[in-house]
Amino acid sequence: MASATDARYGQKESSDQNFDYMFKILIIGNSSVGKTSFLFRYADDSFTPAFVSTVGIDFKVKTIYRNDKRIKLQIWDTAGQERYRTITTAYYRGAMGFILMYDITNEESFNAVQDWSTQIKTYSWDNAQVLLVGNKCDMEDERVVSSERGRQLAEHLGFEFFEASAKDNINVKQTFERLVDIICEKMSESLDAADPAVTGAKPGPQLTDQPAPPHQDCAC
Amino acid sequence: MSQELNLNFLKGLEQEIVLDVLYRDQMLRKMEEERIRKLKMQLQELQWKGSKSTSQEYSEKLCARCQKSLGVLMNRGAVCNGCSHRVCPGCRIILNPYTWKCTVCYAQEDIKAKAGEWFFEERVKKFPAEGKHETAGTKLLESYQKLSNISVIPPTPPPFSESTSGVNTVEHDQRKGFHRSVENLFLSFTTHIKNISKSQNDMTVDKYLLTADYGQEMELRKERRSQSDTAIDIATRVKLAPSLQRLISGAQDGNGIAPERNCLQKVVSSSPLSSIFSAGIKRGSLYSLNSTCSEAGNFEEADVSGEIEFAIRYNFKSSMLEIFIKACKNLAYGEERKKKCNPYIKTYLLPDKSPQSKRKTSIKKNTVDPTFHETLKYKIEYSQLEMRQLQVSAWHSGTFRHRVFLGEVVISFESWNFEDKSTQLLSWYQLKAKAEQSEDNMINYSGELLVRAKLISPSLCNNSEYEDQMKENRKHLFPLAATEDKTYPGYQLHLIVLEAKNLPAIRPDGLLNSFVKSCLCILGRRDMKQRTPVLKKQAHPHWKHLFVFSGVTTSQLQQSCLDLTVWDQSTFGLRNQFLGGARLGTKVPTRTSDATSQADLQWQKVLSSPNSWTDITLTLHSNAHVFNF
Ligand SMILES: Nc1nc2c(ncn2[C@@H]2O[C@H](COP(=O)(O)OP(=O)(O)O)[C@@H](O)[C@H]2O)c(=O)[nH]1
Ligand SMILES: [Mg+2]
Ligand SMILES: [Zn+2]
Ligand SMILES: [Zn+2]
Repeated sequence: MASATDARYGQKESSDQNFDYMFKILIIGNSSVGKTSFLFRYADDSFTPAFVSTVGIDFKVKTIYRNDKRIKLQIWDTAGQERYRTITTAYYRGAMGFILMYDITNEESFNAVQDWSTQIKTYSWDNAQVLLVGNKCDMEDERVVSSERGRQLAEHLGFEFFEASAKDNINVKQTFERLVDIICEKMSESLDAADPAVTGAKPGPQLTDQPAPPHQDCAC
Repeated sequence: MSQELNLNFLKGLEQEIVLDVLYRDQMLRKMEEERIRKLKMQLQELQWKGSKSTSQEYSEKLCARCQKSLGVLMNRGAVCNGCSHRVCPGCRIILNPYTWKCTVCYAQEDIKAKAGEWFFEERVKKFPAEGKHETAGTKLLESYQKLSNISVIPPTPPPFSESTSGVNTVEHDQRKGFHRSVENLFLSFTTHIKNISKSQNDMTVDKYLLTADYGQEMELRKERRSQSDTAIDIATRVKLAPSLQRLISGAQDGNGIAPERNCLQKVVSSSPLSSIFSAGIKRGSLYSLNSTCSEAGNFEEADVSGEIEFAIRYNFKSSMLEIFIKACKNLAYGEERKKKCNPYIKTYLLPDKSPQSKRKTSIKKNTVDPTFHETLKYKIEYSQLEMRQLQVSAWHSGTFRHRVFLGEVVISFESWNFEDKSTQLLSWYQLKAKAEQSEDNMINYSGELLVRAKLISPSLCNNSEYEDQMKENRKHLFPLAATEDKTYPGYQLHLIVLEAKNLPAIRPDGLLNSFVKSCLCILGRRDMKQRTPVLKKQAHPHWKHLFVFSGVTTSQLQQSCLDLTVWDQSTFGLRNQFLGGARLGTKVPTRTSDATSQADLQWQKVLSSPNSWTDITLTLHSNAHVFNF
C-alpha cells in the first residue's frame, strides 16, 4: 500500500530552485469529494478511480509560469475526516489560498461548505483567498447540487466559483491558475499598501524637482 | 472489536506516512530558506554598491544609486519616494505613469514578494504571536522528536536527486524498524496542536522574529544582541570637565607639553581634541570639533527607545569597513514636548573617539522612523578590527545645534566573523541608553604604533658572523638605524619602529614631522633612551628604525617597561608636541581591555621566544604624563 502512494510523489519538482514566488495552497472539503484526485490531475495529470483515503496531510509541488513569473506551488492535500481536524487546521495558517471542494453528486458535502468556510475564517489569515469548486461535474446524471446553488453560495461567502472534474480534466488547471492570480493580486495590494512610494502619490504625478520624462536615459 | 484492532494497525501505518510528508516538507523548507538567503545576499550586495556613501563629499549631487554626478540646474535627478535619495533617471524603475522607484527600493520590494514577506506581514496582523517561519510541520516534527524516546532516524531525505521517492523504497527495512516507535505520533500531534492553539503565548514571542528571518540567522542575531548587551560601552560620555574648559586650557597651552607629570592641564592639552583647536583650524575639523564638544558635555539624553537596522561588512579589496545604515523605527522624540525629531546616525570606531573616527549620516526631518540607506566607511587594516568596537548612535538635531542622544548600539569585533557572508546581512538592533562609565575607562586614543621586536640570546650576540650579517642587514634595511650597538654581555633587545597610523592631525594639512622616543626603564639602571630621526611632512610616518638595547637579561626585561612615545617636532623650535605613547612590559598605565592585553601577549612572546621577530601593534594614548621619555 505504501508503495502505491509513494509512486505518486516525485522529488524532481521540489528540488527546483529556479522560481520567483512560492505560494502555499490548501485543498479542503469533505472526504471523497475528490481533493486528492484533483491534485493528482493537476500535478501529475493522472487519475485513478480507486479511492485511497488521504492520511492526515500530504502535499505536492508544481512550478508554473504565470504573469511573467515562475511560481512554485506547494499544494497541501488534507484529509476530510473529522479525526484529522487538529492536524489539518494547523496548516491553515501557512496557506495563502484555499480550494474548498464539494461533490456535485453529494448533498452533504455541499452542506458542509459553510462549516469549512468558518474554519478558514478561524484558522487562516484575514486575506485568505478561497475558490469554491464543485467537483465531479462529469457525473451529470447523478448531480444533486445545481450549478446555480453553487454559484449563489460562493457569492454569499465571497468566493469565486468553478465546477470541475478531476476525472475528465475539466477546469482543473483553470482553478489553480485563477487562485494563483488572485493571490498575486493580493500580494501586490499588500505590497502597495506598505509602500510610501505608491500610497503617497496615488492620485497624480509626484512632486519631483524635475519631472523628467520617464524614458530619458542617463549614461550610467 | 476487530475494527478497533484494525484501526490501531492503520494508525501505525498512518503515522509513518505522515512522517514522510513532514520530512519532505522539511526538505522543501530548507531549500526555500536557502533560496531566500541567496536573494537577501544579492539585495545586500546591491545596497552596498549603490548606497549613498557619506565619505563622498558632495553626495547630494550624486545619484545615490550609480554615483553619477547630477547637475545643479539641468539633470538634477529626482527624489525617490521610497528612500528619499536623489537618483538619476537611469536608476529609476517606472511602475506606472505616475510612480517610479529607485533600483534599490524596487529590489527591496521585489524581495519582499519573492521571500513571501508580504504574507508574513499580513498574517502577523491576525496572529501577532506567530513566529514567522514556524510552520505546522516544524512544530509537529519537533513535538514528535521530543516525545519519542528513541533517537529518531529520520528517513533522511535523499540529497536533491532526480530519482523519485528514494526514501520509501530504499529504507523500507529501517522504516519497519521504527514503525513501532511512531505509534504515538498522533497522540503527540494532538496534544501538541492543542498546546499551540490554546497557549499561543507559549511560543517565543520575539518581535524580531516577525520582521526577520530564520534559524541560523536568528541565532546570529541573538548572539549579536547579547554581545552588544555586554559590550564595553567605552568612552561615550566624557565626564571630565566641561568641554569648554578643556578647550580653553588646551588653547592656552598651545602646542606643547610640560615635562611635569600628573598635571591635568597638560594632559588635557595633549588630547587630540585640543590639538585641533590649538593648531590651524580647517573647516572640517571645526565642524567635528563642535559636535565632539556637544557630545562631551552638553547634550541631552532622551528616553531611549526603538531599534536601528544596519549591516556591517569588511571589504577586503579596499580595506574598508563599511556600515550600511538602513533605518530606525520607534525612535524617542528628540523633543518630547513638541513631538519633534530630526534623527541622524553617528558612528565611532572605538576606542578612537577622535573626530577622524566619526562618521555621520544625513539628518532626516520630522520622523521617528527614518530611512537612511547610507554607507559609512572606515579605511582600516583587517588585523586592527578585532580590537575595535563599532559604536552606532542615534541623535536628534535640534535648532541651534542642540543635540539629543536617542540611543546607541556598541558592537565588538573581537569575535565577529567578517568572512562569513551571513554576517553582512541587515539586522535590527535595540537601541540602548548610554552606559555610565568611569573616568578610568576613558581612553584617549591617539593612533597606533606598529613595531617589530626580537630578543637575541647571548650566544648569537657574540657570534661575529651573525653580528656582521646584522650590520649588513641593518644598512640595507634601516639606513637611519641607530649606530649604538656596542656589544654587552647578556641579551640584546632589537626593536624596529615600523610605522604609526591614525595619529592626531595637528596641522591643517594633516602632515606631521614626527619621531619616536624610546625609554627602557630597568630597575636599578639608568634609563636607556633612544630616538628615531624626524620624518618630515608625513601623516603616516614609516620610520623603519631599529633600536638596540644591549646587555639586558630576560628577567630584567620581565620587570621593566619600555615606553614608546610619538612626537611632532615643533616648527618654531618650541616644545615638541606629544602625539601619543604606549608601553611594553609591566605597569601598563591605561588598561584598554583587549587592545593592551593583545600587545601584552605579543610582548611576552618576544621575551619567551628569543631570536624570532614578533610584530606588535600598540594603541597610542594621549595622556603623556604616564609615560617615560
Ligand atoms: N467521476 C468522478 N470521480 C471522481 C472525481 N474526482 C474524484 N473521483 C473519485 O472520487 C473518489 C474520491 O476521490 P478522492 O480524490 O480520494 O477524494 P478526497 O477524499 O477528497 O481526496 C475516488 O474514487 C475518485 O476516483 C471526478 O472528477 N469525477
Ligand atoms: Mg484525499
Ligand atoms: Zn543613476
Ligand atoms: Zn529609493
